[in-house]
Amino acid sequence: MRFRDFTAVHKTDLMVNAGEFFSILGPSGCGKTTILKMVAGFLEPTEGTVLIGGTPMTGVGPAQRPTALIFQNLALFPLMTVWENVAFGLEARGMRVAERRRRAGELLDLVALGGHEMKRPGELSGGQKQRVAIARALAVEPSVLLLDEPLSALDLKLRHHMRAELRAIQQRVGITFIYITHDQGEALTMSDRIAVMSQGRIEQIATPEELYGRPSSAFVATFVGANNVLHGRVTSAVNGHLSVDSPLGPLRARKTDGVAAGQETLIFVRPERIRLDPPPTVENRISGKVVRRELEGAYLQLEIATETGQRLLAQVTNADESVARKIGESLSVGFNAVDAQALPPGPLAVER
Amino acid sequence: MRNLLAIYGRTLTAIICLMVLFWVLAMILVPQIAMLHNSLWWTEKSGDAAAVTLRIDALYNDIGVLELDLAAAGDDEKAKITAEIESKRSEIAELESKEVSARRVYGFANYTRMSALHFGIFVKTMFFSALVTVLALIVCYPIAFAAAQVFTGEKAALLMLGLVVPYAINELLRIYAWLMILDYQGVINSALAWMGLVDFSKGTAIPFLQSPGAVFAAMIYAYILFMVFPIYNTLETLDRNQLDAARDLGAATARIHWRVAIPHAKPGIAVGCIMTFMLSAGSYSVPQIMTRGQGGDWFSQLIYRQFFDANNWNIGAAYAFTLLVACLVFIFLVMRMFGVGIREIAR
Repeated sequence: MRFRDFTAVHKTDLMVNAGEFFSILGPSGCGKTTILKMVAGFLEPTEGTVLIGGTPMTGVGPAQRPTALIFQNLALFPLMTVWENVAFGLEARGMRVAERRRRAGELLDLVALGGHEMKRPGELSGGQKQRVAIARALAVEPSVLLLDEPLSALDLKLRHHMRAELRAIQQRVGITFIYITHDQGEALTMSDRIAVMSQGRIEQIATPEELYGRPSSAFVATFVGANNVLHGRVTSAVNGHLSVDSPLGPLRARKTDGVAAGQETLIFVRPERIRLDPPPTVENRISGKVVRRELEGAYLQLEIATETGQRLLAQVTNADESVARKIGESLSVGFNAVDAQALPPGPLAVER
Repeated sequence: MRNLLAIYGRTLTAIICLMVLFWVLAMILVPQIAMLHNSLWWTEKSGDAAAVTLRIDALYNDIGVLELDLAAAGDDEKAKITAEIESKRSEIAELESKEVSARRVYGFANYTRMSALHFGIFVKTMFFSALVTVLALIVCYPIAFAAAQVFTGEKAALLMLGLVVPYAINELLRIYAWLMILDYQGVINSALAWMGLVDFSKGTAIPFLQSPGAVFAAMIYAYILFMVFPIYNTLETLDRNQLDAARDLGAATARIHWRVAIPHAKPGIAVGCIMTFMLSAGSYSVPQIMTRGQGGDWFSQLIYRQFFDANNWNIGAAYAFTLLVACLVFIFLVMRMFGVGIREIAR
């Protein structure tokens, strides 16, 4: 998809299975909304085709597509009552008043909003509006429901609640959800599969577990969850393990495709996989000093500076007194080779 | 009041209050009350007294004529004419001593005595003004919608500029421009003649100016901005996503406008209709110029004639006040029809 000279989305092959909760995750401006608009029919791709249920959608407008879009700001009709909002799609299809009123009532019951039919959207709370928007979109019985960051306007607590609810609704109605978000937490908790996008390209499509555990690129590794990044050069690749020469000394890491002996590499280690005072079985050991410590309650976040100046982030469960560390305290940390993912160098996700 | 004092201090508060008072008195109360008062009385004289007054008027006329003669006459005739003038002067003096001044009578007769012809003109003006309002709405809504929602950035700015530019020209000139366009040998007829559709020599050109449509066209053109801007202002605040959402839910264009855009624009439409109606109903120059004073009068022309041709300010005031009341009724009706309150109108 191109806008004049700007390519918003590069050549993309994306297959979403029917009945799947599929998320497209990426920083703002990565082209995820453009993909959504192409699926919804508000944009025609410059090249290529969108197929829904095997049917090409070229030349089919948003009104005729079997999709329904939930907008970021929901775009409820403020001058209509709740039931009229929900029934608007049915009205457009020429359904009789009594019939669409009954159907709106059913849908509002489905999203647990029975009894609010006669209110205006302005009289509802954020979460209730959200549910009206979902009911309105479901009313037209779409085969694909498209959601454009619909939770971003809610406060944290409600957002967590709505995640579970969205997932539950999706499983109840059994239709395909395509969910756009820049919030990895949302994507990881709700989705069956996730596509991570960056600068108009899809970096990886995988299940949440795979995405978090085995990111396929440096961008994904740093965008999805936190990661420690260690530079190095591969010295040997044997039996699925890599030996890497790094400023911190020799390290061992898990082998990934595209990383071979003699190449530059980036090693990614999750903060929660870094262990304090590692037992002798742990393959990689580094010593350093605590420069920052944050108690988050259930866990403790430590920033450790090694002798080379490399910063490491470690997250340890606040299980007992033994994890307590003071700032300036020297300590030894380590991680297993299976917890260290070596990937070809590439752009990292920039902290926003 | 206490708030005002707290914010602005004593001097500024006094100035503000005085200015508000001046506005209310000079702009609203005094002119309207003066008009209302004028419309509620008329002068009356009995038959004899009226005859005396008429006689005095006639004598003054004669003297005027004689004085002209005097200036042109030769020496021999001068004495005769001077004597005649003198005799008329003395008669005037005698009559004027007998003359009684007119009685001022209060009542509603200025309103109730409106002739069927004038009432017909009043009704016609109301109807035509309403028609102009509806036509202007039909013309302006798409323009306002395009400027507010369809075009973005530079294009929208150019469109608005195009709408405003004609308003840099004097209103009379704009109306005369339409006169030239619609005239019998005007731009349109000339173009038609050039295309061979009409022939001046056979008299088949279309007499646009003889139909009320010519007045309508000039009026819509003259007052288009007063309809476009209020609607544009409300449509501009309409969230694009709502239009997209309606479309995504399968609504056709007509339904999107009817159910989403127009309800949102209601306050703007109401304001635009009120302004256009009041301007049309009160417009003097457009019907006067477009019909060259030859076509059927509009009520505003009638009021003008009462004041300045018939020299009957009392009837004129009554007619003007009637027009004001009719406009107020229209405002009230529009507000009821669109379900908008005074607060939304004021915005």
